[in-house]
Amino acid sequence: MQSFINFVAKYKEYFTLVALVILSLSFISLGDVSRIGGFRTVVIGTVGWMQSVFTWIPKPGALQSENKSLRQLNLQLSTEATRMRNAVIENKKLREMLKLREEQELFYIPSEVVGKNIIELRNYLTIDRGASDSVHAGMAVRNDAGLVGVVIGTTNNFALVEMIENRDIKIAAKLQRSGIDGVIVWEGGEVFELKNVPKAYDVRLGDIVLTSTFSNKYPPDVPIGKVVEIKEEPGNIFKTISVRTFVNFGALQEVFVIKYLPNPERTELIQKMDELLKLRKGYTK
Amino acid sequence: MKIIFDQKGRKSQVRSIINYAIAALILSVVNIVLLDFIAVGTLTPDFLLILCVWIAVTEGQFFGIIAGFLCGLLFDFISHDVIGTNALAKTAAAFVAGWFYKENKANITIGSFRFLAIVFVCSLVHNMIYFFFYIKSTEISFFPFFLKYGLATSLYTTVFAIFAMLVKLQRKGG
Repeated sequence: MQSFINFVAKYKEYFTLVALVILSLSFISLGDVSRIGGFRTVVIGTVGWMQSVFTWIPKPGALQSENKSLRQLNLQLSTEATRMRNAVIENKKLREMLKLREEQELFYIPSEVVGKNIIELRNYLTIDRGASDSVHAGMAVRNDAGLVGVVIGTTNNFALVEMIENRDIKIAAKLQRSGIDGVIVWEGGEVFELKNVPKAYDVRLGDIVLTSTFSNKYPPDVPIGKVVEIKEEPGNIFKTISVRTFVNFGALQEVFVIKYLPNPERTELIQKMDELLKLRKGYTK
Repeated sequence: MKIIFDQKGRKSQVRSIINYAIAALILSVVNIVLLDFIAVGTLTPDFLLILCVWIAVTEGQFFGIIAGFLCGLLFDFISHDVIGTNALAKTAAAFVAGWFYKENKANITIGSFRFLAIVFVCSLVHNMIYFFFYIKSTEISFFPFFLKYGLATSLYTTVFAIFAMLVKLQRKGG
């Protein structure tokens, strides 16, 4: 026993080393630091607090590193700023292009009303713009309030406008709120009538009436008027809807010719269909 | 008379242990809190390792490996490292440092360039063990990593061991 004790005492460094290495490896094998639990949390908290106490001391290395990071960030931001500027210019150009497109679709030619004619319940206007101003027959006319009529004839410097207060006028129209389609007609009264709207459809007083995309004569979405009366008569499957125009036809002084012509192919097709129908009616008779 | 001598020796030993413990605590805090100020890139000196070498060279191998283990464990706790890695590395480093222990000649050893060489060798042993566990769970090759970081860290630690050497030289001179 004594010899064993002497042996251990003689090589105590090695025994201690082996014991401590085993102990260290055991700690390492624990691996998961969370097993140490609350004690380490306290230690880390304390170290964190101590580190925060010394944060006021400048760190040359950290400053250098921060400078480097900031320079990189600055470069990135500068690149982004250049991109943004380019995007703004591009956006402006695109907007201008869009605006141009809008203007091309609904390009307005301002003109003054120089005369008014009423022929057999057909109201006409004479305006001071003609063929030399690129005004052609078939172009719609409006003012700031809404639809006025359509150009039916031109000279070099004047044009004749058939107002929608005209018994021959039939305008494909729609209600702005619900999108319900109908046909606007004028029967000589103070108000227009929106026809072909079934009783079941949702129409309310005050609904705005616009020109429809179904119209081959007028550009779409030009304001016409608003619903002022709705009637449902027995024996009629359609509503009787009265529409008051936005335009005060009695006080027209300035109008705009909408540089918009109906699609000729579409017009031709409609004309052919009309002729065909007339022929059929003739055979039937 | 002999008893009085033993009591004096024990008191002196206890005082040394307390001094070493305080030094270990201070160096741990410095190592953790103020290391950012002396770090060169990712390289940092290991003050606790210098202390362990000092203890092993001054007090002997047995005392040194216990000090190494305790210092390593302390560092593992206050750093966010895996518990046991620093303890193992510093125990081994202190064991190597203990081979250079010569009774009553510690002052000469520490006050000379020999101490720097010991610190460098011990630091290499320390870093070899530490980085082995450090990259164990990664796909990093050990030797290139060790040559890049282990060697550089050892050199940087050795540079700071110069201050310990100078302190001892000044005491000797005084």
